[in-house]
Amino acid sequence: MSRGNNFLSALLWSIIALLVIYPLSILIIESLKVSGTGDSGIQNYLEFFQDTYYLKTFWNTLVLSTMVLLVTTLFGIPLAYILARYRQRGKTIFTALILLPIVLPAYAGVFAFVIFFGKFGTMNLLLMNAGLIEKPLNFIYGFHGLVFIESLHMLPFIVLSLVAGFTSIDPSFEEAAEVEGASGFRRFITVTLPLCTPSYLAGAVMVFLWPFTDWLTPLILGQVDFLPSVAYINIAYHFTDAHRKYMGIVAVVVSSIVCITLFLLARWWVEKRKYTGLSKGTTAEGRVIEPGPLIKTGSYLYMYFIAALVLLIPIVLGLSAFSRRWVFEPFPTYWTLDNFRVIMMESPGLIKNSFVFSSIALIFGVVFGLPAAYIIVRTRVPGKDALDFMITLMLAFPGIAIGVSYLLAFWKGIPLATHWIIMPLALFSRRLPYFLRIAHASYLQLDISLEEASEVCGVGKFRTFIRISLPLLIKGVLVGVVMFFIMAFQEISTAIFLYRGGWETLPIGIYLNWHRGMEFGISAAMAFLMIVITFILLLIIARIGGGVLKAAWGPGEGR
Amino acid sequence: MAFIEIRNLFKQYKKVTAVNRINLEVKEGELLTLLGPSGCGKTTTLRCIAGLEKPEEGDIIIDGKSMISGGFVQPAKRGIGMMFQNYAVWPHMKVYNNIVYGLRLQKISRKDIKEKAKDVLELVGLQGLEDRYPGQLSGGQQQRVALARALIRNPKVLLLDEPLSNLDAKLREKMRFEIKSLVKRMGITSVYVTHDQAEAMVISDRIVVMEKGDIVQIGSPHDIYEKPASRFVADFIGAMNFIPGEVVGVIPGTNEVCVRTEFSDKLLCRSTDGNVTTPGQKVYASIRPEDVEVFAEPPQVGENLFKGTIANKAYLGNFLFLFIDINGTTIRVQAPHQLPQEEGHEIYFSLNPQKCMILPE
Repeated sequence: MSRGNNFLSALLWSIIALLVIYPLSILIIESLKVSGTGDSGIQNYLEFFQDTYYLKTFWNTLVLSTMVLLVTTLFGIPLAYILARYRQRGKTIFTALILLPIVLPAYAGVFAFVIFFGKFGTMNLLLMNAGLIEKPLNFIYGFHGLVFIESLHMLPFIVLSLVAGFTSIDPSFEEAAEVEGASGFRRFITVTLPLCTPSYLAGAVMVFLWPFTDWLTPLILGQVDFLPSVAYINIAYHFTDAHRKYMGIVAVVVSSIVCITLFLLARWWVEKRKYTGLSKGTTAEGRVIEPGPLIKTGSYLYMYFIAALVLLIPIVLGLSAFSRRWVFEPFPTYWTLDNFRVIMMESPGLIKNSFVFSSIALIFGVVFGLPAAYIIVRTRVPGKDALDFMITLMLAFPGIAIGVSYLLAFWKGIPLATHWIIMPLALFSRRLPYFLRIAHASYLQLDISLEEASEVCGVGKFRTFIRISLPLLIKGVLVGVVMFFIMAFQEISTAIFLYRGGWETLPIGIYLNWHRGMEFGISAAMAFLMIVITFILLLIIARIGGGVLKAAWGPGEGR
Repeated sequence: MAFIEIRNLFKQYKKVTAVNRINLEVKEGELLTLLGPSGCGKTTTLRCIAGLEKPEEGDIIIDGKSMISGGFVQPAKRGIGMMFQNYAVWPHMKVYNNIVYGLRLQKISRKDIKEKAKDVLELVGLQGLEDRYPGQLSGGQQQRVALARALIRNPKVLLLDEPLSNLDAKLREKMRFEIKSLVKRMGITSVYVTHDQAEAMVISDRIVVMEKGDIVQIGSPHDIYEKPASRFVADFIGAMNFIPGEVVGVIPGTNEVCVRTEFSDKLLCRSTDGNVTTPGQKVYASIRPEDVEVFAEPPQVGENLFKGTIANKAYLGNFLFLFIDINGTTIRVQAPHQLPQEEGHEIYFSLNPQKCMILPE
């Protein structure tokens, strides 16, 4: 169309090329290198798929993914149904609580559960004190613990997408089944659930991909035989052993390929199955039922149960953060602010770094995201679909892949990694889709004639965008801004590969304090700080209007 | 005998009254229409009959059995078929599976189901489309799927909730007749909800006009049009001139009433049944635009003959549309012929006393 749009598109593409395509191609090139020789080839991959150990990790990861998906689905369907359909008090609070893990850093949950469910954690000590058990039970160390912790972390994805599905179904679809004589359960199985599959799948794929991304949780639980953990260990601890490094990179590439393939498959299936009903849009909340007293009590208990598990994270971390020497006691006995004092004295830079890096990444995100949303929603610039596709793809990319590829790409060729700017840049590309998706979703709802009216009045495209579109989009943009900040703030899997002395962020600090065997309390205090900050930011989102968030996380693209 | 009986039905949504204690009877085999603007309670009434809503008070009796007072009867057990406004044809099921969905829940052999499906598909004209998904059908075809699904279980009662409102105008007119003849042929007692007065006129045996949760008039299409009970009904069904005035008195020995208006001291009107016409009462002398006669030249004789000015004139092909101004009152006229006068010129018109009715203010 216009030259300006083409120029803008070219600019956005060059950023994508530099920050996404270039490092990822370096990653693939490196994975093909054969150690000890200057040659390249597929030897590493052949070895990977012939080596029983690597195959085992691959298989383990697949099993873990399947289990996590199964558990989140089983627990998520009733939860989403309760939240979407039952009219009850305190629904908003519960929704917020149950969705909390989506914004909480995954490692915060892990630490909390280690403290609470660990070998001599609160749960075991309480049970032993009560004389119910002789020896401590193993609640979380092992595969089952991994499934539990990762499931709780990913539950919101399933719940959010199912809630979106349940509420967007036209009520008359179910009423028709009711008139035709289908009982509640049968109606749910034959009509409601099938109509929800596209939304479900959008969430399910994110859940399934998580074990291919999360290297930290297995590591803390003493499990290493999973793809991302192996990759992390190979790359981070054996940088001098070229062969192990290359094998680690291969593991990263394999994870990425699995993630992207599954992501694309799900997208393709959702696209194919998108049910375009005839309904002229439904009521805002869809069908709402007044449950009977028995079901109501049951659903409340169920919500309390999930909410309690979620709440355990901030509570346990809080207890740990405000105490010292909390060992072999069910609850801390010595209360102190020492942990925070240590943080303030020894590493105030961490907090500053976190804010500075996330803010700069945010500025990049907005400066990139607004024009990108404009190009994708409002123009017909060639390649705009590809641009949308590339950006959305970053949702599926494991953080470890971005971290490793940046490390490889920006060290020699383009030496960005020697400057601290690499940190916000990495955060920016890792969280690229978060701002864009939300801005995109609200942009789609903006009637184009409002902008056209401005142009007809003789105002140019850029001024129209600033004067008309932006004020009307401001809600979505602000929610996107805060959401992006939260996600950048808690990022660790990319940042851990790139930080150098003095560039540590809070999440890295948490990991390092745990890893170096220093006081657990300091890690907990840092995690607690993060939770408080995140919570404040969440309140801001709620103030602006959480509905925008739901719209952006809803099923499929282009809603 | 009444096949469906609605007694004192009362339904509220969050303190807003949707249906205000209405009573209604539907005869066996009758096609009854609930007509009214949006928010008048017609759809709520229909949904109460279906059992999709639980009324706060009142009872619904279908074929002699109470649906509420003897324990709430679920929609599935009421022997009804229903067509929804958006058809509610399930997009994830093929046409055939959509239609036989309800039958499969009953203990009927596969063979019988197949036969019934074949019959009903033929009835609505969908043969050969069994294996299509709804997404591959046109709006009209989806509508037929919904109709087939509603009919396949031989319901005692057919409920139709604005089934034609999503179709384009041409198809809508065609489907009116199709649905009517189908329902009449099968002799199903039907309740039809619409806000389209033309649709109600074409399709109904009787029309129930509703306003703000109340029934304001029940009658045949002819009665509703010719003898509207109130200004609301007259305005909602067709177009009407409302000329404000005051009753002077009844002309003895006739059914005519003399009314004083802005432009005339004795406008003669027909008194409608039941309308009190005490002198001094404020009323509307009401006449439909097509009942006003216009003349280019002053006619020799005629009652209620007046002279006005053409304020607006529009040519609509099969007729002429005029706004005539007379002492500040505007009269709408639908004239079936050509007129030499242009806008701003004088014109003569007569308000036939037998067509000019009195409606209370």
